[in-house]
Amino acid sequence: MTRWARKRPTRAHHGRAAKAEDQDGGSFVTVTDFDISPSDPLVAYVQSNSGAVRLSSLELDSPTVEALKGAGIELVIPLISHGDLVGLLNLGPHRSGREYSSDERKLLDDLVGYVGPAVRVAQLVRQQEEEMRTRGRLEQELRVAQLIQQQFLPKELPHLPGWDIAAFYRPAQAVGGDFYDFIELPDGKMGVVVGDVTDKGVPAALVMATTHSILRSDAPRLVTPSAVLERANDLLVSDIPAHMFVTCLYGVLDPANGTLTFANAGHNLPYLNTGDEAVEIRATGMPLGLMAGSRYEEREASVAPGQSLLLHSDGIAEAHNDDREMFGFPRLRSIVAGGLEGNELIDDILSELDQFTGAEWEQEDDITLVSLCRGAGGSAGFGSPPGEIEKSAPDGSHGQLPRDAVVLADFELESLPGNERAAMERVVEAVRELDLPSRQLDRIKTAVSEATMNAIEHGNENRPHLPVRVSVLSISDNELLVRVTDSGGDRPIPEAETPDIDAKLAGEQSPRGWGLFLIRNMVDDMRLSSEGTHHTIELAFNLRKGHGDEHRI
Amino acid sequence: MTQNILNASVKKVNERTSVIEVEGEVTQTSEKDLMDAYEEAVSKKTRTIILNLTNLEYMNSSGIGLLVTLLVRANRHHQKMLACGLSEHYRQIFELTRLDEAIEIHDDETSALAAAGAQ
Repeated sequence: MTRWARKRPTRAHHGRAAKAEDQDGGSFVTVTDFDISPSDPLVAYVQSNSGAVRLSSLELDSPTVEALKGAGIELVIPLISHGDLVGLLNLGPHRSGREYSSDERKLLDDLVGYVGPAVRVAQLVRQQEEEMRTRGRLEQELRVAQLIQQQFLPKELPHLPGWDIAAFYRPAQAVGGDFYDFIELPDGKMGVVVGDVTDKGVPAALVMATTHSILRSDAPRLVTPSAVLERANDLLVSDIPAHMFVTCLYGVLDPANGTLTFANAGHNLPYLNTGDEAVEIRATGMPLGLMAGSRYEEREASVAPGQSLLLHSDGIAEAHNDDREMFGFPRLRSIVAGGLEGNELIDDILSELDQFTGAEWEQEDDITLVSLCRGAGGSAGFGSPPGEIEKSAPDGSHGQLPRDAVVLADFELESLPGNERAAMERVVEAVRELDLPSRQLDRIKTAVSEATMNAIEHGNENRPHLPVRVSVLSISDNELLVRVTDSGGDRPIPEAETPDIDAKLAGEQSPRGWGLFLIRNMVDDMRLSSEGTHHTIELAFNLRKGHGDEHRI
Repeated sequence: MTQNILNASVKKVNERTSVIEVEGEVTQTSEKDLMDAYEEAVSKKTRTIILNLTNLEYMNSSGIGLLVTLLVRANRHHQKMLACGLSEHYRQIFELTRLDEAIEIHDDETSALAAAGAQ
């Protein structure tokens, strides 16, 4: 009774000789695993000599031969596929006790002609499966990193009278460690943070989360930017992995007089657009987490009415085009000097970047842009343009409304099967005026109907009298938000298993369970929240072309 | 709101190949119709089932679940499943869910039939 050795991707052979008990309660019962080194003389021997090999007649200084003999193997037949040795068919003693006859050996030789390629196919399938598992794990990791990242990005822009604040964040494929934050401070001041963790993925996201929390907890207490960064550095130095550090610019803005007091831990310098030109505002200091006891220079900049500040991360200036040319700070600076501000400035930078890198560009690093513009009328406030509504939501259960939100539709449906179609069609009706491309409309339709179906079936458990509320909001003409809220009680939202087609086909997972997965893949951003007896899923769609994952609030 | 239901019609091209033409919507309510169509489409010698989705108007996650169920059944009987006529949106959904790795996608019925060796 035998098995064959399996060829591993490392090209070391891993063998297993197994023996089973025969009906007569015979002797052979051990299973032995052994590795065959690619340099073992047996490998060279079987590759140059086809056909069955009697181990007893072999005179090779081979650990494998010794191991095989030790396991009771008498006959070895190499399994060859396309000239490659893919395994060994190992036979123990003949059941009759005699030698294998030449007829039997001939039969075995014929047999392995079929077995070799079959084993190779099995090996490839297994290799493929392993690769798929690894790929799944990487994707999972990426999702975790994204989740952490998004968790700590502000959900809302601060509302400062007399100021227009815009922010943009778009993660790179591998998710870098960019972050930004606005912190409410005493006396009506506001802290603003832009930072970048070296490294990518989950480790960077965790360091980012830590830094975020340190800054959040210390900023209101310590107030001066240099003290905040010194404290953050001291806390991070002891915990941060050796190869990682954090660049970070932290400023305190007094919206009343336009003064920004700031300190800088090795981050890109912000630009102040004075109306005539864009000037870098400079303060020096080492990145956080690099060495203990770092001190941070503190500077002050004054933003006059009509002027604006741009904070930014490496992702823009260090973007490369196909010729490995860098976008560069001078280019960014000249765009800022162009005089646009807020979302218009951000759009301008992104479209210049698009032109520079070309359509096929895979974003190398996270991109973060924060623009703070002081209205020309000083702190008089902008007032709301017609059609816009105030930040506070009419109904607390349905979450806060962002600034600049226009309600396109807001309705309730009974929890009846099939009502997800009604929700979908009413949303389509509500966004008709936006004249969206059909591709985007298809994505919105699928996401809305899946979210509504989840609310009906899982949230409200098909109890018709429990309503599902759907509201459709457009934000500054560049984002569409659809909020779907159930009334199913205060149970937590269960973790959804990630659907896997292979597991489903193998019967290891239910064929169903694609809903949340589909939603995630249809939207640009998605947020789940719970309040009282309501769960809300917020679906965000970016209405500008060409950008998939960006985060703009 | 028009309630579009599934209309699945079966065309036996030859004893090894059948086409199920799916019209309307594939959702949780389509299970019986789709499974009935499958039973009608197959015989002992059937090797290939082609789903013609040219007139598919709407499919949701439950519908995808049904396709997976169908696929499991077809796999068990060593039948291959092909699909044709998918809109860009549903083609994308097939790719996202990796259904396209289990159900070969063709642009139209002619090329699906050719791939099935039926033409």
